[in-house]
Amino acid sequence: MNTLAGGLFAMFEPLVASGLALPLAGVNWHTFFFLVFAAVACGFAVAVVAADNVVRMALYLVLSLGATAGLFFLAGAEFVGAMQLMIYVGGTLVLLVFGVMLTAQAPFVSIKSTAGDRVLAGMVGAALLAVLLQAALSVPAWRKPGAGRVAEPAATPIGMALVGVRVDAPEAGAPAINRRPGYLLPFEIVSVHLLVVLVGAAYLARAKRRKTPRAIEVAASVEPAASVAEHAEIGRDRSRGSSVLAGGRS
Amino acid sequence: MNPAFAVSVPLLGLISEPVSVAHYLVVGAILFVAGVACMAVKRNALGVLMGIELVLNGANVNFVAFASPYLQAEGGRSIGLDGQVFALFVILLAAAEAAVALAITLNFYNNHATVDIDRADDLKG
Amino acid sequence: MDLASQLPSLLGLAWLLPLASFVLILFFGPRMGSHGRNAAWVATAAIVTSLVLSLVAFVAWLGAHPVSAVDHGGHGDHGAAHATEHASGHAGEHGGKGHGDAGGHHAAAGPVAYAGDWYTLYEGGRLKLSIGWYIDSITILMFVVVTFIATCIHVYASGYMHDELHDVTDHDVTLADGHHLHRPGRFSRFFQALSLFCFSMLGIVIAGNLAMVFVFWELVGICSWFLIGFYYERKSASTAANKAFIVNRVGDFGMLIGLMALWGAVGTLHFADVTTTAADGGAVRTPGLFSLFRPAAADHALRIPDGMVKFEAADAVARVAADHAASPADAASEIASRTPDWRSMGYGNWLLFIAGVGIFCGCVGKSAQFPLFVWLPDAMEGPTPVSALVHSATMVAAGVYLVGRFYPVLSPDVLLVIAYVGAITLFIAATIALVANDIKRVLAYSTVSQLGYMMLALGVGGWVAGLFHLVTHAFFKSLLFLCSGSVIHACHTNDMRKMGGLAKVMPATAFTMLVGCLAIIGAGIPFVIGLSGYYSKDSILAQALSFSQANPRHAILFYAVAGGAFLTAFYMFRLWFMTFAGKPRDHHVAEHAHESPQVMVMPLLVLAVLAVVAGWTLPGGLGIANLIEQSRPAGTAATATGGFAFGSLTIPAEHLSHGEPFHSIATLTAFGTALGGVLLAAAMYLWGVISPSVVATLFGPVYGFLAHRWYFDELYHAIFVLPVKGLAAVASGIDQGLIDPLINGLAWSARQVAGLDAWIDRTLVDGLVNATANATWSAGLELKKLQTGSLRQYVVFIAAGTVAVFVLTSILFKTSLPV
Repeated sequence: MNTLAGGLFAMFEPLVASGLALPLAGVNWHTFFFLVFAAVACGFAVAVVAADNVVRMALYLVLSLGATAGLFFLAGAEFVGAMQLMIYVGGTLVLLVFGVMLTAQAPFVSIKSTAGDRVLAGMVGAALLAVLLQAALSVPAWRKPGAGRVAEPAATPIGMALVGVRVDAPEAGAPAINRRPGYLLPFEIVSVHLLVVLVGAAYLARAKRRKTPRAIEVAASVEPAASVAEHAEIGRDRSRGSSVLAGGRS
Repeated sequence: MNPAFAVSVPLLGLISEPVSVAHYLVVGAILFVAGVACMAVKRNALGVLMGIELVLNGANVNFVAFASPYLQAEGGRSIGLDGQVFALFVILLAAAEAAVALAITLNFYNNHATVDIDRADDLKG
Repeated sequence: MDLASQLPSLLGLAWLLPLASFVLILFFGPRMGSHGRNAAWVATAAIVTSLVLSLVAFVAWLGAHPVSAVDHGGHGDHGAAHATEHASGHAGEHGGKGHGDAGGHHAAAGPVAYAGDWYTLYEGGRLKLSIGWYIDSITILMFVVVTFIATCIHVYASGYMHDELHDVTDHDVTLADGHHLHRPGRFSRFFQALSLFCFSMLGIVIAGNLAMVFVFWELVGICSWFLIGFYYERKSASTAANKAFIVNRVGDFGMLIGLMALWGAVGTLHFADVTTTAADGGAVRTPGLFSLFRPAAADHALRIPDGMVKFEAADAVARVAADHAASPADAASEIASRTPDWRSMGYGNWLLFIAGVGIFCGCVGKSAQFPLFVWLPDAMEGPTPVSALVHSATMVAAGVYLVGRFYPVLSPDVLLVIAYVGAITLFIAATIALVANDIKRVLAYSTVSQLGYMMLALGVGGWVAGLFHLVTHAFFKSLLFLCSGSVIHACHTNDMRKMGGLAKVMPATAFTMLVGCLAIIGAGIPFVIGLSGYYSKDSILAQALSFSQANPRHAILFYAVAGGAFLTAFYMFRLWFMTFAGKPRDHHVAEHAHESPQVMVMPLLVLAVLAVVAGWTLPGGLGIANLIEQSRPAGTAATATGGFAFGSLTIPAEHLSHGEPFHSIATLTAFGTALGGVLLAAAMYLWGVISPSVVATLFGPVYGFLAHRWYFDELYHAIFVLPVKGLAAVASGIDQGLIDPLINGLAWSARQVAGLDAWIDRTLVDGLVNATANATWSAGLELKKLQTGSLRQYVVFIAAGTVAVFVLTSILFKTSLPV
């Protein structure tokens, strides 16, 4: 961790020497980057909420989760951060993007909810935020600045723990118990769970022979609206519903 | 006077202090609330899914924060590996859940020709 | 087989045969031939067999106890003890020691009689209820008379009731729609009732104790009710039947009091002594009424038994017992020694009087004496054979018979009461009969009057005379009734004013009725020969004269008898002249009149013969009077003195009346009065010398009074019926005005409460339940709105809920994390 900070420091050293970055001499680069990543993550998370266009939402989400991965790295959980980037961002969000692509017909790109809904959600969200913040800031032990202990890399211990053997060194002050739980069972359960998901997804995605045409096929037979503005109009008009069927001119 | 200097002096205090667990928790809270708000506001089913991802990530941030020895104060103790393993599992399950949720959404889209979850009110009492 | 067991068997069988006939006709009557035609044969066969058995018994009796002419001492020597002339023998169960020989000068120990019990119904304490017999010559005589007359009536009725062999249209009954009643015939019912009646009457005659008498007394009353109300659809008939029964019940009430007095005082109701075997094998002899009241120790004079004395002297007895409380034996002996003193002080007299008068009350009702005679004329509503059998010859005679049977227990005071009642009855009935126009009514009042004669005779000491008149009256009264039935059958009317000159058309009836009329007035050649009524009436007159001479204060009794004889002759020949003599008054009736069929005329002739000869005494002494004399109760032959209530009385011995001067005066008086009556009747109704209507107008008020039967019915109606009706009206008023409204009010209030309950139930309870349900439903409907189906809203709720949980928890559970 500090190597990174050191590397960055080395990059900006001439700036420091020039005296322009004199203020940068007392900078805790860990905190600095933490703030950057946090701002990105939170900002883009809020942007996801604020955005109307689902494609843009997807992009913002990717960025937000990427920043989160950075946060993981800064916290010393590099394996988790790596997994976050690989699995979460690279897999799950890609899947979401696929979904967006498949369903992002013009009328559905932006469906806005009413202002009342948003106000209500905002209020509830604010209340929830207040509660959570209060909880987070209420414990004095958590507010004390970090001491900066560097732990060993976690990949091997995680791997071993998943197999059932705990090889990480207990922290100072931990009670002397011989057996710390391994995570073999959860590992297996999750494996089966993923298998089930795999099978289920394959089943749900199968091609079905239908007597009556699916709605989507009916919709496809209907001539779509002429312009985007018209689509937008249809989308805003809740009374007509946001169905493709309603969007047609037939 | 260097404007950067004028700005950075107050910020200097901000960025010179080491980060604690609470910082991470705040971030986690913001992500979580953003996720909830996203779920509550978005009419697009995929938007709701994104909200779910944000929620899970908020929780993950919390887990990682508690698992980090770096953030702990003098004399404090983190939950170490357990937190990281938890976060790992959350990621895995989020992936599985996203797959299933997407399958449901696509089925819904195929049958109703819409992803507006406001249309999915058949269970309306 | 000795008489003691033979007689009960014979007479018992004769008694039960009519019951068998009753049962047979009861169950099979309508099926006996078409419309029950053969029921008459069954009933007649039964009664004829009874008659035969009675005659056999009679012959057997005569064989063992020949009747001698000794009793009629007026024609023979008289000197010695009167009481010694009787054949000795006394009552005993299964062992009649009848010596039965004439002229035996034994000490009188009682008449020849056989007594015993067939079946003991109940025996407990002092009470012994049993079915038993007491058979003496009177019993057998009554058996013969009753069965004989009943036979004649059965034969007569089989012809008279022929209307009942097919459906009958009763012109006396009008239904609501104006038509006359049309009903099926009831031929077998009639003979069923007749058979039951014969059984009941014979039961009274043979009864050996007063309880049995009472049972059959009531049974006879019931049969009379059945028979009077035979045409029950007629209001008059059913009312008359009820009247007869109710009036009889009034008399029976007195009879019950007498029975209670007797039983309470002396503890037994048997006439004769009862011999039973005790536990140790020895014979225990319980004295009967006759032995108790006329003990041998007192020479069979009437003496109040110890029990009765002690019963009435209960206070003194209690005092003695209290004095000797320590030793009951001393008390008992003290009481026993003082009983004669008490008796001489007069204790027990009233009880004896009550007992006697009580029993006589029953006879007043049954024999239609004053004041309970009002039922007998109305009883003529029944068919004529019924009137002939029941209400002239037998049932009404039961009262006289009981007085005669009970004679030994009657004290002189009681006998005086009986005599006066008889005299009053005699007079009232005779006067009413003077103006009656219904032929059967005349005969009914004549019956009442003659029963008064009999009671009077018994009351003045003429025991034989009264019973003798009973027998002769049975013959000629039934004859008269049957003749009247014949006339009614021919003329289809009872009204004598519509008859007249029927002698030409119905010679047999006219002749036999003439015989009957002559018999009833006591016609005959004085001192030579006469019809049956001549002898019996003469003996009554003689005894009345003897009595009035012995008791000058009560001389009116003789004049009543004499006057009665005059009136009797008048109204009987008025009846005969109006019916058979002169010119027909109604042509319609005269055209249709015809002689009755042979089956109806035969009994008339037979009875006529008997009406003539019944009073004669055969050479050798066989005669009804002597037969009766054979059973004279011990001690009643002598002149009796006594009387505590009405001054001292002398009941002269009856045989004295057979002597001079009573016999001659009586004969001449009877002849004179009878002749006078006949001549007056002839003058008014045969020769038309005196016009009846003029006489009626002349004695207008008297005529009206008599025509309305002395207003007795109206009097009783006012005294008894109206108060009861008033009481019933009051009770009905209370019932309808007080109780019904109360009940209705209770019901109404219950309904109101129920209505209130219903309102509460509907409004409050149901309302509550419904409101609860509605509230639940509304709440559900409202809550349903939460289920919008909108996922986003659910998320909002989740978040809000989480916040709420956090807030609540932080408020309620203030803990701080240990750090």
